Amino acid sequence: MEAASVTAAPPKRRSDAVREFISRYGLIAILLILPVAYGIQDLGDDGNLTRLGNNLVEGVSNGAILALIALGYTLVYGIIELINFAHGEVFMLGSLTAAALYSPFGLTPNTATFGLIIGLLAILAISMLVSGTLNVMIERVAYRPLRSAPKLAPLITAVGMSFILQNVGILWIGASQKSVPDLIGSQKQLFEVAGVSVSRGTVLAVLAMIPLVLLLTQFVAHSRLGKAMRATAQDPEAARLMGINVDTTISVTFLLGGLMAGAAGLITALYQTSIWYFQGFSAGLYAFTAAVMGGIGNIRGAVLGGFIIGIIQGISDNRIGNEWTPAIVFVYLIIIMVFRPQGLIGEETREAG
Amino acid sequence: MSRVRWLALLSSLLGALAFGVAACGGDDDDSGGSSGGAGISGNTLTIYSSLPLQGTSKGQSEAVISGEKLALKQAGSKVGKYTIKYSSLDDSTAQNPGTADEAQTGQNARKAVTDKTTIFYLGEFNSGGTKVSLPILNKANIPQISPSNTYVGLTTDKPGSEAGEPQKYYPAQTRTYARVVPADDIQAAALVTTMKEDGCTSVHIFNDKTTYGAGLARNIELAAENQSLKVEGDDGTDRNAPNYRSLAAKVKSDCFVGSGVTGENYVQVFKDVAAANPTVKLYGPDGVAEEAFTNPAKGGIPADVGARTKITVATLGLEEFKKRNNAKAEKFFTDYKAEYGTSQPDPYAIYGYETMSLALDTLKAVGDKANDREAVRKQLLENTKDRESALGVYSIDENGDTTLTDYGLYTIKNGLPTFEKVIKAQAG
Repeated sequence: MEAASVTAAPPKRRSDAVREFISRYGLIAILLILPVAYGIQDLGDDGNLTRLGNNLVEGVSNGAILALIALGYTLVYGIIELINFAHGEVFMLGSLTAAALYSPFGLTPNTATFGLIIGLLAILAISMLVSGTLNVMIERVAYRPLRSAPKLAPLITAVGMSFILQNVGILWIGASQKSVPDLIGSQKQLFEVAGVSVSRGTVLAVLAMIPLVLLLTQFVAHSRLGKAMRATAQDPEAARLMGINVDTTISVTFLLGGLMAGAAGLITALYQTSIWYFQGFSAGLYAFTAAVMGGIGNIRGAVLGGFIIGIIQGISDNRIGNEWTPAIVFVYLIIIMVFRPQGLIGEETREAG
Repeated sequence: MSRVRWLALLSSLLGALAFGVAACGGDDDDSGGSSGGAGISGNTLTIYSSLPLQGTSKGQSEAVISGEKLALKQAGSKVGKYTIKYSSLDDSTAQNPGTADEAQTGQNARKAVTDKTTIFYLGEFNSGGTKVSLPILNKANIPQISPSNTYVGLTTDKPGSEAGEPQKYYPAQTRTYARVVPADDIQAAALVTTMKEDGCTSVHIFNDKTTYGAGLARNIELAAENQSLKVEGDDGTDRNAPNYRSLAAKVKSDCFVGSGVTGENYVQVFKDVAAANPTVKLYGPDGVAEEAFTNPAKGGIPADVGARTKITVATLGLEEFKKRNNAKAEKFFTDYKAEYGTSQPDPYAIYGYETMSLALDTLKAVGDKANDREAVRKQLLENTKDRESALGVYSIDENGDTTLTDYGLYTIKNGLPTFEKVIKAQAG
């Protein structure tokens, strides 16, 4: 009797059932509210969906950049359950590095296409390397010594590291937003589909993001180090007992996150054509939100979250108002968290489980 | 036992008395010790300047300071028997650069209040900052002059102000604040007049949600209504937004005003609006009249966007001053070149010069009472009439506003705001 009472599933409350239903189907409807509502409005007003299409395109390009940054948050959280608040600043320094290299590489808006591609690939490699190395160093200096400390210690250290790096940014380029040369003609239209304009910047952001995410996914899924990362994420102690060098695995995780941030840094400099010491804070906040929304610790979730937030931003900026966009984004996050705390495609983490 | 009780009661009473005395002393400190007409002791008077010395406004602030120092140098740092000490404070912070940080601004104002030798406070650069410093200084009866504030609500309850303004900035019930630039109702009228002259039929406004930007946007809406210019929209912008491309796609008018300051990400705003609307004419207020906005080499808008942009600033060009036979302005430009080596100072340099000149002339006018804040305050706000200055002849009205109304129209040439012509505009 006693055993039966222990093993029997508790009766489901009505509120749990509602929550489960909304978690399964309702969130899709909630996510579609903005595009569907404004799509209907556009059809009524303009007789076409061009405006909505343009909003979505802007959203996708912003989302692609957010996704790359979000990967750094999700990888690190997945493996050591640390919110690396300094990650946004690693991205910012990647952006500053990239912009600083334009001139030494002789890149100007008048550089020939071939030279531009070669130069940008070299800058991409360097900015990825700089951000990756920086992230590894941060882990080694600021987080590793606190591995066995209470969780609040590395968390507050991460916040401190974020401020330190922001000040590095101020020392480097000053406290103001700076325009950088528009090397690719970021806002120039590349092609148009049914009245929806697709700019060079949009194509760059999406085309750069796809191979990077695919490479990362393949690395984590199939490489030896990737398997070590997954094992460490599941149970660090067991992984250590199985002969995995946990410290090295964690360093590699930080390296990968930093590499993605460096790539996002260059893409941002090319796409926005401006850099700012504070750009990492706001982008980092949105990217972290994207990682949580998609399911922190989950690579596909980070990408999905990035795109969702980018699209919400795109629609909200144009329809509701740029000043309200942060509130709209976080309303969505709260709704998703309430009904699906593990994120849209996330799984229960060690901590939650 | 009863003796112990008695001692406890006595201690409590003494404690309460001590707190009361301390509190009264605190009040005295707050008022700076000379609000009621008692003079500042000694022969040294301090003039504080509080401006954002970090971020995008750094260039404008440095120009203001250069102008202030020039005027002070010309006076030999003396007014009558008094030696004038100049103290420059930064109201911005590394984390909040380019504009007045509220906490830092409050700290600056309190520093001036606790300094018994304070006779003038020149600042803030941003109207939002003055919202913080003005009530603190007002309570201590410290006269304040701003070289750049344009928000209407600081001095009047004219359209564009908010409920409770301007009374809430004057807790002492007396006016202590004056400014040497025309308020935003004039600037808004100047912007709309320019747009009408340029053939604009409609305008879309973005504002940076600051006191200055949002207030000016409201004034532009009113001026547009008065001059029959259709307002398509007035949208607030978030300075931390990654970009403004989607927002810029909303702009369908033939003219656009970015009612904000450079530090609120208005380089990005102008770039995105220009890219999304290749034919739209672009207009900016004095908040973007600085190299950080106009000069691509200093991180400002690209040259092609600059070529489409016009800016209003309350100051006029040297040639215009010459045309008007304004000897004081000519002297300023000559002396400025001799002192700093440039014949084309930032537009705000002359404001700084006039701000300090007004302060020094006010002290001079009250003679031996230059150490008396109340006498100085009265002189500034009640007796500044038909003053011949580098900015032209003007008075300070009972609200603390200048009677000057001319605005200069600037275009961008070689990365610098360059004076084009005078705009004659009247509010209302």
